[in-house]
Amino acid sequence: MAGHGLDQHDAPPAPHRPTSAELVERKALTRQRVAADNETITVSMGPQHPSMHGVYQAVVDLDGEVIVATRPGIGNLHRGVEKLAENLTYHQFIPVTDRLDYVSSFAMNHGYCEAVEKLMGVDVPVRARYIRTIAHELARLSNHILWLGVHIMDFGAQTFFLICFRDREYILDLFEMVCGARLTHSYARIGGVAKDLPDGWVEKCRAAVDYLPKRLAEYERLITVNRIFLKRARNVGIFTTEDCHQWRITGPSLRATGVARDLRKDEPYAAYPEVDFEVAVEYDADVYSRFLVRMKEMYESCKIIQQCLDNLPDGPFLAADAAHVLPLKKNVLRDSAAMVQDFMYVIRGPQVPKGEVYRAIEVPKGEMGVYIVSDGGPKPQRLRLSTPSFYHGQAIPAMFEGEMLSDSVGIFGSVDIVLGDCDR
Amino acid sequence: MEAIQENVEIPEALKVVFAKLEEEFGDKFLGSSFFRGELTFTVSVDDYVAVATLCKESPDLAFERLDCLLGNHYPKRAEAPFEVVLHLTSVSRNVRLRLKVPLAEGQKIPTISGVWASADWDEREAWEMYGIEFLGHPNLIRLLTTEDFVGFPLRKDFPVKGTVGGRIRTDLKGKI
Repeated sequence: MAGHGLDQHDAPPAPHRPTSAELVERKALTRQRVAADNETITVSMGPQHPSMHGVYQAVVDLDGEVIVATRPGIGNLHRGVEKLAENLTYHQFIPVTDRLDYVSSFAMNHGYCEAVEKLMGVDVPVRARYIRTIAHELARLSNHILWLGVHIMDFGAQTFFLICFRDREYILDLFEMVCGARLTHSYARIGGVAKDLPDGWVEKCRAAVDYLPKRLAEYERLITVNRIFLKRARNVGIFTTEDCHQWRITGPSLRATGVARDLRKDEPYAAYPEVDFEVAVEYDADVYSRFLVRMKEMYESCKIIQQCLDNLPDGPFLAADAAHVLPLKKNVLRDSAAMVQDFMYVIRGPQVPKGEVYRAIEVPKGEMGVYIVSDGGPKPQRLRLSTPSFYHGQAIPAMFEGEMLSDSVGIFGSVDIVLGDCDR
Repeated sequence: MEAIQENVEIPEALKVVFAKLEEEFGDKFLGSSFFRGELTFTVSVDDYVAVATLCKESPDLAFERLDCLLGNHYPKRAEAPFEVVLHLTSVSRNVRLRLKVPLAEGQKIPTISGVWASADWDEREAWEMYGIEFLGHPNLIRLLTTEDFVGFPLRKDFPVKGTVGGRIRTDLKGKI
């Protein structure tokens, strides 16, 4: 990898890596020791605590400095999104999906629209698929850059947080140009996207994705071989493949255990089958591996965007499908058929077949599945959002057990949880 | 298996899953369907844990992961208004499967958190939202709503507007 920090400096030798048998033994020993003297101290971290990214509460029992048990508390951000979905039409629900994972809103819009399109059987035009791919990868970049800044800040590097926020601005500016919003985009639509790309956007986007890899190389020079980071991240928070499957841990944390599972390759959607990219995989399953996976993913995202910009086809950005897709506003004001279509769509909602679908896509934090049951009406009978942060938050007690309290902050950061996504 | 969608070829990997499950539990399934490339089996409560365990343990199926478990409410169905739905994923074989368990009002269902640990919060959520009780669950308490919340919010008869259980209780002080 060009500009990889490891080329230039000597990394300290890797410490002994515990096997999973040793880890099990270590955890059993911790339990025995606690059972023997039964003296633990209880510390409450969160829900309002700088180390907890969002309103996640972790009440930890400590034996000395070792965590023996964790009682998680979530729900502070619960808004009843699934109940709302049953009382809104398929189109009206799109802005609510922004508020799930508000760090990568477009990914949430995209996942929801993919599921609805699968249910309705809508064909998305080629240009819309490319635009979606670009926007999704921009969301991934924005998410990972924010995550990186916050994660490294957890280890004590305050300045790095500001460096990351500066570079994230380039991506937020691109989103602002294309849909007017910086965080809650609501840019995807059933059957395509809301607007075409504005004039000059492609050039600006190209400039940003040419520039970002240089910044990423600079991050790597600062972090990848940083002795403090290496000492605090290597062999910490090891979570093996079996554990990941057991707790439904997906995305970068699963790929850090050596499993090349990426829905962009395994269940392709949007324009991913037509672009060339690699699935980032690491093998040590610790905090450091998760960091490396996300760094690699950012380079791959830049590659994907560049390819999509090179091959961006012309054509419509929204499907011409009167039964399922909202017509364009400019047509509504000129064409009576489009006006009737718009009226019927807004008042009655789209025409949906009976049935049920489950569609999962690879959002920046993992695999987000959307399960929709339709009874043929304009509103879903049941909509379930199987979001990655919910399951990652659930696995936190298993990850913390047997680790030091001071490492818990880094472990929590390394799985990348957003509580809007968790509590729904 | 009735294919709801006409002219759709069932993928080879799903045929294997179908054949294996039919062989093991053939007449015990209440039904199966195929829609939009997804295979669904309906299972009775009695066979539920056995089917799920087989799906995980059998090397031919190898569903390592439970993608999600959820409840559902169909008030118009007289005999089985509730339903528990499982989505299983085989990462090694890249196959998905859906299992459904219909339930009567007040009927209990055994927990599956011993098979897949990730079912823990899913079951708690299904319990607090629908009132479906999971027998043998280690910690069946409210997860997303407050401890003193009244009612089951995702049931169809629960209103979208209004105040239910919004008051603050003082008698729980020190107990939670």
